[in-house]
This record gives sequence, C-alpha cells and structure tokens, in this order.
Amino acid sequence: MEPAMGMGLVALMGAAATVAGCSEDLESDIGSQSNPNSQVQLAAQVGYPHRIFNKAISGEPPSNAMYCAVGAGVAMMLMSESVMSASPLLAIAIGAFVAALLNGVFSTTAYLGRNASQTRFNQYVYLDVLRNQILSLMGHAYIATFCIVGLSYVLWEQTLIGHPFPFPVIALIWGLCVGAIGSSTGDVHYGAEREFQDFKFGSGLNAADSGNITRFAEAGVRSSMDNAWFCSKFGGPATGVAFGMVVFLDNWRSTAFAEVLNGWGAVLVGLVIVLALVIYNRQIETYARKKYGPYPEYAGDIEA
Amino acid sequence: MSVAAGGEAVSTETANQVDTKGIVVGLVGIYIAGIAADAGIPYLIFLAGIGAVFATKMGADAVRRVCSYGIGTGVPSIGMLALGMGLISAMFGLALGAIIGVPYVGPIVGLVVALVIGFIVGTLANKVIKLNIPVMERCLMEIAGAGVLVMTGLAVMIAGSMDFAVISEKVITTGYIAPVFILGALGILHPFNASLGPDETQDRTLVHAYSVGAIGMTIAGVCSIATINPIAGIISIVIGLAIWYANFMGFVRLVKRDAGAGYVGTGLLPPGAM
Repeated sequence: MEPAMGMGLVALMGAAATVAGCSEDLESDIGSQSNPNSQVQLAAQVGYPHRIFNKAISGEPPSNAMYCAVGAGVAMMLMSESVMSASPLLAIAIGAFVAALLNGVFSTTAYLGRNASQTRFNQYVYLDVLRNQILSLMGHAYIATFCIVGLSYVLWEQTLIGHPFPFPVIALIWGLCVGAIGSSTGDVHYGAEREFQDFKFGSGLNAADSGNITRFAEAGVRSSMDNAWFCSKFGGPATGVAFGMVVFLDNWRSTAFAEVLNGWGAVLVGLVIVLALVIYNRQIETYARKKYGPYPEYAGDIEA
Repeated sequence: MSVAAGGEAVSTETANQVDTKGIVVGLVGIYIAGIAADAGIPYLIFLAGIGAVFATKMGADAVRRVCSYGIGTGVPSIGMLALGMGLISAMFGLALGAIIGVPYVGPIVGLVVALVIGFIVGTLANKVIKLNIPVMERCLMEIAGAGVLVMTGLAVMIAGSMDFAVISEKVITTGYIAPVFILGALGILHPFNASLGPDETQDRTLVHAYSVGAIGMTIAGVCSIATINPIAGIISIVIGLAIWYANFMGFVRLVKRDAGAGYVGTGLLPPGAM
C-alpha cells in the first residue's frame, strides 16, 4: 500500500473513532450506565425516587461489544457472496440499525425491570421517561456502532489494511475498547463532576450524598436529557478524543513504523507514546492538586 | 429476598427444575438439529436455538441465585467467566469428537468438562478465596454448563453441523463466533442485571431470560442465512422473533404486576419524594 493511502486510512479511522467515542459516551450518559449507575440505582433506596433513565446492560464494555459484534455479523452476512454481495456501506448501515434495535430492546427491559424491582422504595415506572429517552439512546448507539463497524471494516478488508482477525471479532474488540474508554473517561464527568460540582475540591464524598445525582437540574427536576446536555460539553468530546487517539496512535505507529528495525520500530514507538502519556498525566494530576487543594482553612484532622 | 442485604433467593421454580429443563431441552435440541442437518435437512436447526434459549434460562437462574448474595457489580464478571469456561469446554468437546471420529459426543463431553471446570473454580472461590457463598460451587457449575449449551447450540445453528471442522470453518474463521459469544453472555447476564433490586421476582427474571435467549437465536439465524441456507435461516429468525415477542410482552405484563400503582404514564415524583 502507498504510504499516503495508509496514512489516509489511519486518519479516517481516527475520525470515525472520535465520533464513535463521543456518541457512545452520550448514549451511556442518557441511560445512566456505568459510573453514575450505582448512584442512580441507590438513589431510591436512600430516599430519592427519581425520573432518570436507569439502565445497565451488563456494563458498558460488554454491551457496546454486543452492538458492534452484531452490527458486524449482520453486515458480514449481507456482504457475503452467497447472500447478496451488498456494498459495504449499505451492509454496515443495516448492521448498525439492527444493533440500534437491540439497544432499544435491552434498554427498555433494563429500565422497566430495574424500576419495578424498587417498588418498595416508592420508585415509579414512568412510561414518558422511557418514550422520551429511548429514541435518543438508539440514535446515539446507531452512530457509535456505525463508526466502529466502519473502522473495523477498514482494518479487516484485505485491499485496505488487511488485519488477520475476522471482521466481527475486530468489531467486538473495538466495541469492548470504546465501552471501557467511555466508562472510564466520559462517565466520570457525569458520575462525579455532575453530581459533586457544588462540593469543594478534596472535601471527600459522603455515601449519603449519592442520591443527589437524580435531584435538581438547572431548572426543575433533573432528567436524562439534562445530563446529555451537560455531558455533551465536556465528557462526550473528551471520550471521543480519547478513543480517537487510541485508534489513531495505535494504527499510526503500526502503519508508519512497520518497516523500521524489522517491526520493532512500531513496538518502540508504542513504548515511547505510553511513557509520554504517563508522564503527562502525572503532571496534570500534581498541577491540579497544587492549584486547587488543600483548603486554606484545613487545619489537620478534627478529633471525633 | 433482599439483594442489598444478601441471602438465599426466593424461588417459585426450583433450581433442580430449571436445570433439568435447561440440560434436557438444550441437549435434545442440539442433537436433533445437528443429526437432522447432517442427514441433509437443515430446516430443523432452529431446535438448537430453542435448546440455547432454555440453557440461557438455566444460566440466568444460576446468576440470580449466586448474585442474590450481594455480588452486585460482579454480575457481569461472573457471566464473562462463565462464557469463558463455556467457550473452552464447548470447543474442547467438539474438537475431541472430531479427533476420535465421533462428532456426536461433542456437546456431552463439553458439558461434562464445563461442569468439572465450574466445580473447580467454585471450590477455589469458596475454599481458597473464602467467599463462603453456600451455592457457589453449584451455581458456577450451572453457569458453565449453560455457557457450553448456549455456545454449542448457537454454533450448531450457524454451522448446520456438529462436526468440528465445519464449525471451525463457518463459525470461527468467519468470525460469527463474536456475536454468538457476546449474545450468549448477555443472555445469561442481562436478565438478572436488568431486574436488580429488592423487589426482583424469579418469574419476571426467567421470562426475560427466554426473551434475551430468543434474541441470540434470531441473530444466529441471521448469520446462518449466509452459512447454511436462506430458508433455514429465515425459519430460525421467524421462530426466534415469535419467542422473543411472546416473552417480551410477558415481561412487560409482569413489570405491570410488580410495579402495581407505580406503573404510570407520566407524573411528578411520588408525594414526599422532594
């Protein structure tokens, strides 16, 4: 393959991954999956019944792996010569649509089941909450699945990058990856920042405050759409950049340095990237600690 | 039953009943489908899917019993563990069948291996790590056994054969193993995870397990259009969708029953909640 073509494909995959990461994170924020889910799940038990969409589909990595694997499986079936040799773009769109339908079914059962299991805490099943959020969940899941199945296709197709793994398995791995990144990057913005934004830095988190995440929005009772609005300002794009960087840097080093030192060049560049990120992260952490904490009035531990 | 406090789950259908149905229907479905497909009748492969649906229910019930001891966020982990044990055992059984030249021993060998692995892992968890959950060994055996039957059932649906060489060519090399693996895992995990809470009821969780199992069966039917025969695939899809629809509506009915007056179209938060 021409180097320019290879770098173009790597850039395309990075762009698709950025969109997918952002969309995946907003999907999980609307559904309160992952990081904030334990707080939403506990809210009714600590006396805060709510109108937030509460879904958990076995954790974010497995659920996104399912959407992507199913999308790729359906696309592969449509593209196979024994069926209709569909064009890849059409096949991937249909596969992502099937995955979005699965997202709708799994989200519906999770919302209905979890709220019905908390009846004794006065938690209602609100059908308008279900109707209002379900299509935006499916829409975001569609975008994320389409992008990830698309980048997996670019990675797998023999005339493009030609990865040796089968197409649905590559999609499964990238689905797991985007779920893990969304869960650890973007959802923290919702689960921690959204809930504790009025608490002082370093003041510690009281378990009794857990249910607060479901209470007041900028106006009125908080709904899942408010969370999507809030998270689309930082958490979603941050997830997109994180996942886009993972896909781009990983494929960039293995494409650009494949011939250097008989393949070891790519390994060395990977090590350098990891080391640079570790050092950079540590610097951000120490900078934040110095800048925002400890409190001026902190005067040692108070005796009980 | 209290999920938060932990303790033995309340059941209307005993574990022995669920296991018997899961293993018998699972194995019978897989064998009829596999033998008929080898005899040149691929239209009965949906029976392997029905076997997988019952096996999914067996796994979901085991997850429910072991997780009622307060495992919480460990629910997905335990299901992934199960499907890992299930995948290894299923492939070992089918490969052993191919090595000794009798492919039909594959599912039974896989089931036995999974039960043994499940027992070892359960004993390690209870005796070495000292989790001290009374049902741990049995539940891990059941989950691993369910994993084998689900994986084998859906793989036979896609390959249209119990021969390891055919499964390897049509399921593993093509990559259809990925949706099979993850849908099998979510079928076992999702029913209890989606009903988590102190007012969870067994009949609701198990109806949900049938419906999620039927989704796996439907997607396996979609994949089998490319690998076996479009008509056989469409029969599987239609039957899978019918099972899904019936159980999904049953699930919604049970949600209405369990939520009682709390099942509302819209409304403010309950009185006193603010």
